[in-house]
Amino acid sequence: MSEEKQQVSRRQFLNYTLTGVGGFMAAGLLISPIRMAIDPVLKPSSAGEYANVGLAVEDITTEPQRVDWKIDQVDGWYESKVNRSAWVFKNENDEIMALSPTCTHLGCVVSWEGSEDHPNEFFCPCHDGRYYKDGTNIAGTPPTRPLDLYDHKVENGMLYLGKAQVRGEA
Amino acid sequence: MKWNEQDIENYVGAKEYIDTIILPLLPFQLSQDANTKKDAFASEVLTIFSNEIEKELTGRILLTPSYYYLKSADKEQEVKRLNAWVEDMKKQPFKHIFYVSFDSSWKKNEKDLNGNLLWLPGIQSGDVHSEEMQKLIRQQVQQIVELIRSYW
Ligand code: FES
Repeated sequence: MSEEKQQVSRRQFLNYTLTGVGGFMAAGLLISPIRMAIDPVLKPSSAGEYANVGLAVEDITTEPQRVDWKIDQVDGWYESKVNRSAWVFKNENDEIMALSPTCTHLGCVVSWEGSEDHPNEFFCPCHDGRYYKDGTNIAGTPPTRPLDLYDHKVENGMLYLGKAQVRGEA
Repeated sequence: MKWNEQDIENYVGAKEYIDTIILPLLPFQLSQDANTKKDAFASEVLTIFSNEIEKELTGRILLTPSYYYLKSADKEQEVKRLNAWVEDMKKQPFKHIFYVSFDSSWKKNEKDLNGNLLWLPGIQSGDVHSEEMQKLIRQQVQQIVELIRSYW
């Protein structure tokens, strides 16, 4: 009999504790968005850093080539290696261009000359999205803005890529 | 798109563009010591695999939660359940259903499955994080992507 009593109180105790933790978590959820908004120190910043993508500048031609690299990313629960890719080439003005391969429609991966019917363009296999070589989306296909453009810099003859920048509508 | 809040929100806003389902089939069985390690490994690899396919074609496919089954279970029953999943999915405008699996025993019941079975010859063991494994997986992913595109 007394044992049962003890059981109940133990259960109650656990219940109280859990409710307490729950309340604490709810409070945390309420607070954190505001803190994120006002405290720039708490915002993730690693995205702005440059990474060596393993391509020598002298190997960059006018023909887009795909480079893949990894960055460390802390994303909420996980700290992980994230794969990044870019299409890299030199444009008519001899400037280096590094385009994000992520289709601006719904995010599939685009390829340079990915369709035989559309030479000299980037092509998205999902809904036939198309882009000119400079990444500008071709009117009449689903994408609504150009491919993002990576910040880049050159150090010791190697290409470094940073953040992908959104560009305005064509 | 994946089965998470953010992706599903995007999905709901763009349903007409997403017409393909990827459904991984994974054996899970603890009673058979001889197979557990192999099955766990297969589960790791298939998960990476499905995620990679999803990444390439994210704007047109929905990667559903995996379907787990006992290897010893009656496949006819399993097929019935799977078809019930698919029947429900098809209430949305999905045209193509692809099951991905390393388990060849599905082959026998392929004709009863509502959708296409992509059976991949299993990678038996190894280090999933090694360079070679990544290369191998990437190659296979490219081939599967081509195959899926051929259905579109
Ligand atoms: S995702 Fe590229 S065209 Fe739709």
